Amino acid sequence: MRACKRLLAGVALVALAMPASAAASAGVDPTGARTLNLVHGFWTLMSEVSGHAASDSAAQVAQPEPRAIPPAQSGGPTVSLDDLSQPTAVEAQLRAALRPRGGGLRLTVPHGTARLGDFSIASNESMPGHLLVVQGTADVFGKLLGNLVTVGGDVVLHPGGVVSGDILTLGGEVRDQGGEIGGEVRSFRSTSVLRVPVQTAAAAAPSAIDTVFRRAAGVVGVFLTLSALGFGLVLFGRPNLEVVSDTVSHSFGRAFTTGLLGQILLLPTFGMLVVGLILSVVGIVLLPFVVVVYALLVVVGGLGGYLAVAHAMGETYTRRRLALGAMLSPNSYRYLLVGLGVLAALWMAWAVFGWVPVAGELIRGAAILVTWLLATAGFGAALLSRAGIRENFAGRLIPPEALTDEYLWATPQFGVSAAKRPGSRTPTRGL
Amino acid sequence: MERLLLAALALCFGAARAEAQSPRPFTTYRQWHGETRLHARLEYAAGAVRVSAARPTELYRMDLLYDGERYEPISDFDASTTAVALGLQPAGEGGLRVVSRNQLRQTAAVTFSPKSDLSLAVTLGAADADLELGGLRLTDLDLQAGASRATVRFSEPNAARCRVASLRAGAAELTVLGLGNSRCDRIAFEGGVGRVTLDFGGTWASNSRVEVKMALGEVTLRLPRQVGVRITPDKFLASFDPQGLLRQGTSYLSPGYDQAARHLDIDVTTAIGNVGVEWEDGGER
Repeated sequence: MRACKRLLAGVALVALAMPASAAASAGVDPTGARTLNLVHGFWTLMSEVSGHAASDSAAQVAQPEPRAIPPAQSGGPTVSLDDLSQPTAVEAQLRAALRPRGGGLRLTVPHGTARLGDFSIASNESMPGHLLVVQGTADVFGKLLGNLVTVGGDVVLHPGGVVSGDILTLGGEVRDQGGEIGGEVRSFRSTSVLRVPVQTAAAAAPSAIDTVFRRAAGVVGVFLTLSALGFGLVLFGRPNLEVVSDTVSHSFGRAFTTGLLGQILLLPTFGMLVVGLILSVVGIVLLPFVVVVYALLVVVGGLGGYLAVAHAMGETYTRRRLALGAMLSPNSYRYLLVGLGVLAALWMAWAVFGWVPVAGELIRGAAILVTWLLATAGFGAALLSRAGIRENFAGRLIPPEALTDEYLWATPQFGVSAAKRPGSRTPTRGL
Repeated sequence: MERLLLAALALCFGAARAEAQSPRPFTTYRQWHGETRLHARLEYAAGAVRVSAARPTELYRMDLLYDGERYEPISDFDASTTAVALGLQPAGEGGLRVVSRNQLRQTAAVTFSPKSDLSLAVTLGAADADLELGGLRLTDLDLQAGASRATVRFSEPNAARCRVASLRAGAAELTVLGLGNSRCDRIAFEGGVGRVTLDFGGTWASNSRVEVKMALGEVTLRLPRQVGVRITPDKFLASFDPQGLLRQGTSYLSPGYDQAARHLDIDVTTAIGNVGVEWEDGGER
């Protein structure tokens, strides 16, 4: 049975490949015209299919039996066709008025009539007032002394036909075959007026469980995204990340202050940059690139700084665990995951308890505040360390050997304070 | 086989594409009923717009493809003043959609009757405009361009006498071609930042006075040989290259200015930037 299936599959593959290979063997097409034709054909066909899909959806509305639409009772749907200069406003009125209701379609058109289905004005006929035709074509052979509006249908103006006012078609077009139009023609070839509004349960307010799941999914999604970005950063820019991370650890206060100042100065700096470029005249050409690069740098600074903070948090936590004797592998990936996990935990608390009145808002506020604090510190650290190039604030200037007691006793250096010898008195030169 | 493959692919992708957001088509026009004059105001917020002469049976027409969620068309005719307002204005969420450049590219084709005197006021936002005004009966023009790239052409002589053409640009790139065909008595350009090219080619039927004011940027004056040209620059930190012009006091004159049948007097005021002169045939005079 399996062999039979394989045989069938093989035959099918050969059958599929045969015409193509035969065509290919007929001659090589060095210009690639054949490929172009194939692509063009694909797009043409796709457009046709799309067009059919669209027209099918429009045609889904069945053509109704022509009849007059009775006026609505007092307080019922009313659409004024006196002024068609705001076609989208008229469309909105019609959308509301033609919404399916119990008791059948009823509509009042002040100073006019409303019709359902195809409608025509005979050549010997003169019709006063406005005319609304819904789901039908309006054929004008005679005279209409007013405005004409069609919804889901065309207006055909036959020779000798007259419309003294404006014409508006929603989901149709005006075919002027030699008639006279006194006013303005406005035509939307597509409309959503007759589309039945989708009213599903999804529109209802989501339950608390739905909210929890949706928010939790969001938190997990952000966590995964940041993790992926962080892993990329570790992979390609680990030294820089470590320097920024160390800067956060060693100079948190400075990093936060710098980050705060950086945030305040972001816009003025950008403004000065733009003005400077404009004043240089030649720099105007560079303006779009500079705008993009500046935005990119800010995003990279903020995001990289935030990841560095997560790294620092994870490192601190992991080292404490190691000090307690835990068997862990200390590496940047772990640091990042742990740090991001801690930060995500805060948001996860909001995801779980966010629906609780007052407390939910408090948790959210706390999460926002903490995230902003850490992001600001991270941004500041990125600025202080010049994106991890400068190590002044990362506590890395003094080499590790300089910190040993022996080194300090033997060769005291300028800038490195020597420790006092334990004992009674200070050694004197010459003794 | 190819058709089969294409059909399969099309069926897979077609439905999704049909569901995608697409620009909404809108058309408006008015039949020409012997109107002798039309005051037209065109306001176009964003997208590409093209203006040209209409069919003789129509007073005006606008064919529009626009983002229905963010913009709405303007189409209002006042019969008592024979004035029409056309264009596209922000609505709803406003702003520009940047998901796909081709998906919701807004375009407009606006035409005006060549039989009626046209007073045209155009306001462009973030637009790419091509205004072909040759062949119309333009009596005055007022163009305001924001952050736009606009080209105004007079490919054919203006069928009416134009009183004034006023062009104002913010941070724009503006090119005006064939100003000689415009038959405008006075042409005024006022620009903020950007680049402007004024081509004075075409058929000059009368003298004309041109005022160019530019704050920052580059002004290029493309001059015809058959007209006597006088340029009076007033610059602060700008350079002026009087290619082939002869200095006379504070002005620069084309050789044979006094003998020329038609005169073109250009006052250029610029703060920072560059004012360049080009001749129509490209060579030195």
